[in-house]
Amino acid sequence: MLRIFHNTKYDFIKWWKVAAIATIAFMGIGLASFVITGGVNYSVEFTGGTLVQLKFKQAADAGKIRAALDGAGIRGAEVQQFGGPDEYIIRAQEKTLVSQQAAGAEKVADQIKAALDKSLGAETYTVARKESISPKVGEELSRNAWIAMVLVSLATLIYLAFRFEWRFGVAAVVATLHDTIVTLAFIKLLHLEVSLTVVAAILTLLGYSMNDTIIIFDRVRENLRTAGKDSLYNVLNRSINDTLPRSIMTHATTFAASLALLLFAGEVIRPFAWVMTFGIFVATFSSIYVAGPVLLWIEAKFPRKATAGSAARTDGAAKRAGAVATR
Amino acid sequence: MNSLRSRLLLIAAAIGLSVFALFPRATEVREKKPDGSFVNTTKRLWPLKYGLDLQGGMHLALEIDESKGAVADKKDALGRALKTVRNRIDQFGVSEPVVQQSGDDRIIVELPGIDDQQRAQDVVQKSAFLQFQITDETNALEKSLPRVDAAIRAQKLDGTPATGVAATATGPSAAAPLSGLLTGDTTKKKPATAADSAKAAAPAVADSAKKDANGPMTRLVQPGQFAGQYYVKESDVARVTSFLADSAVRNAIAPGKVLRFGDKPIGGDPAAGGVLYRPLYMLDSKPIITGEFLTDAKPNRNQLEPGYVVEFEFNAEGGRVFRRETGKHLRDNMAVVLDDRVVTAPTINSAIGRNGQITLGGAGLQEAQDLALVLRAGALPVPLKVAEMRNIGASLGQDSIDKGKLAFGIAIMMVIVIMVGYYRFSGVIAVVALGLYIFFTLAALAGFGATLTLPGLAGLVLGVGIAVDANVLIFERIREEMDRGKSARLSIDEGFKHALSAIVDTSVATILSGAVLYQYGTGPVRGFAVTLVVGVAASLFTAIFVTRTFLLLWLDRTGGTKPLSI
Repeated sequence: MLRIFHNTKYDFIKWWKVAAIATIAFMGIGLASFVITGGVNYSVEFTGGTLVQLKFKQAADAGKIRAALDGAGIRGAEVQQFGGPDEYIIRAQEKTLVSQQAAGAEKVADQIKAALDKSLGAETYTVARKESISPKVGEELSRNAWIAMVLVSLATLIYLAFRFEWRFGVAAVVATLHDTIVTLAFIKLLHLEVSLTVVAAILTLLGYSMNDTIIIFDRVRENLRTAGKDSLYNVLNRSINDTLPRSIMTHATTFAASLALLLFAGEVIRPFAWVMTFGIFVATFSSIYVAGPVLLWIEAKFPRKATAGSAARTDGAAKRAGAVATR
Repeated sequence: MNSLRSRLLLIAAAIGLSVFALFPRATEVREKKPDGSFVNTTKRLWPLKYGLDLQGGMHLALEIDESKGAVADKKDALGRALKTVRNRIDQFGVSEPVVQQSGDDRIIVELPGIDDQQRAQDVVQKSAFLQFQITDETNALEKSLPRVDAAIRAQKLDGTPATGVAATATGPSAAAPLSGLLTGDTTKKKPATAADSAKAAAPAVADSAKKDANGPMTRLVQPGQFAGQYYVKESDVARVTSFLADSAVRNAIAPGKVLRFGDKPIGGDPAAGGVLYRPLYMLDSKPIITGEFLTDAKPNRNQLEPGYVVEFEFNAEGGRVFRRETGKHLRDNMAVVLDDRVVTAPTINSAIGRNGQITLGGAGLQEAQDLALVLRAGALPVPLKVAEMRNIGASLGQDSIDKGKLAFGIAIMMVIVIMVGYYRFSGVIAVVALGLYIFFTLAALAGFGATLTLPGLAGLVLGVGIAVDANVLIFERIREEMDRGKSARLSIDEGFKHALSAIVDTSVATILSGAVLYQYGTGPVRGFAVTLVVGVAASLFTAIFVTRTFLLLWLDRTGGTKPLSI
């Protein structure tokens, strides 16, 4: 029987301060980036606007495409290489352009096409993809995305409240919230485009991360029954160690799948794959270093009556961050 | 043993059902032949539907366009528009199109495999409001021009100087400014009535017209080849259009008359130094008949000159009206006006009954076909505008499929290596369960008629990684039970029992996200949500039921005495 991380007794929780500093630093960098360079890169689905993906017969020059657009008075459009040197994406999300699309969403796309036909020649390229979204539809889609995010969070909250007693539920929710913020920081730092597909990735990720937390908490609950006088700190550590082989295996297979997506599934799905790949690490991290410490903190603040004694010890243990867990 | 047999039977039934759901079946495919007719051919197709982002195509969301006037009963108008659009799309010749209402105010049109976006958009959006209007014989425009000029000046619409200078003589007709026309020289076909009225009007109008020969409108308009027809330089069309957009200017035009542009420019090739002109027509605003009486329209080759015509047929009542009206207007010109543009304005030589034709100058067969199609399907009751349009080229879609399949294959291989490398014999069982998971998921998607989109494909790839989680949970539990010295049989039982609650939890969480995503997502994301939820269900079945059955089978074979390779 091949075994990895079997019967380990690592003191995971001991490192919670280091972990907290690391994740807060990451969030801080993300926040700073938000403040300095503005919000995340929303796709045309959310802002309204036009996306045109071009495939040229030969390698093309972004400068020439830009010049063609400028010459036709299409300002503020972003030109970006997409995959190979013969593929480009044009995004027109500038406000005055978008407002033109209220009268007919296809207008700006037609202008872009006419401008390119004129200065580069219609036969030098083909349009591989085109998305034209009127500002009204953009508003609706972004509203729907927000509703979806809030509803998933609420549904999760209700399910957790129903499934666990509130201390566990709150800890799991905090961990999920943490995942959302860290993922947003990641999206911001990598300049990923936030489309509906990326929102779907974030929601999937939340579910995945919650799974992890649930599995550890399930074990905590089970171990608490047989814990006797053992502190919650120790029980938590033991539970994390107990579930470690499962965590490693599941993360390994999921990581393999999302890596395959990232490397082989093409440019269109790449932002989705990035979020999932990153998310696997976040989920692992938060189920150990966010959900766990938060649970300990709640126990310390609001000790349960039946195990008041052990909760007090937990409090002490949590404060003595260097304490070595004994079984 | 008995329960084992029924378990195996259930798995066999599930496999059988899936094979049935996935088996290539005869599907009727509608194809368009080069001559424009449709044939239904039967092909054997794999029954899994691809979304537009994978097979290429066009997605359109249309809304009522109220920029040209408010629509009173939107709901009713949208319902009728939906019917017309559906009619047109049905005849358009795309296989498996979707035309449906979305919410209260939107029509969704999905056309798989469409590459010519402009054409498709025209067919959907064209109002196809057909009117037959008699051209003006009374020089109403000439009389109105001073007032029109005054209105333009009063509204301060006359900004920059016009590009056209009135007295250029390069036009399709021997063009002279309109003021010149009023003083005698004309190229009209029917001088009798028109010249009389021109003469009658001349003393009164010529005075002000002379003064105003350089009026903002007057200098842009030149007489055409018959009464009621004029020419405007193509470069001035936008200017004139902007004048006419103003209601004060429109009110200055003689009552009961309207100005309409032709649909195409005529004249010299601008590349060769020629000047393009656009015909402008003064028409009786009340049409003699409209397209609502049309029963049929079909394209045909023009018998007299190169090009095409659209032959139409009115119903009995329409035929009666048309015969009476055309009989009244013999030798007059009748403009065929489609969506406020004059397509052609032939002279009426004899009374026309139920059958007529519209001559399309220089139009191709495709255009004639599309015009016949929209005329047959009927006019749109309200103008529609595009709220959302997505086009995906077929080659990009195919590329996504190929890359998605590659990623899928690689993900499966890696998961197999990890699972078998770590769990050995039990890993093999998990891999078999994984194979069934993929098979069941695809079958369920096909069976429920769900659509596989690119995010859905990504979800499927990701699912391969996540689906083994349930097996991992169970195997780890079994290992723990075996560590406590329990027998293989007992360990398996206990392992499944303990792992179940965690598995159910994770599944519930995923199904919740999936349901919300389905409710609030658009096409591609919905595909993802469906794949996610179907995947979870398939994974529950394979991980819990199938894996356990295989382990029970192994126990049965070995009698439970051998150590389990896990």
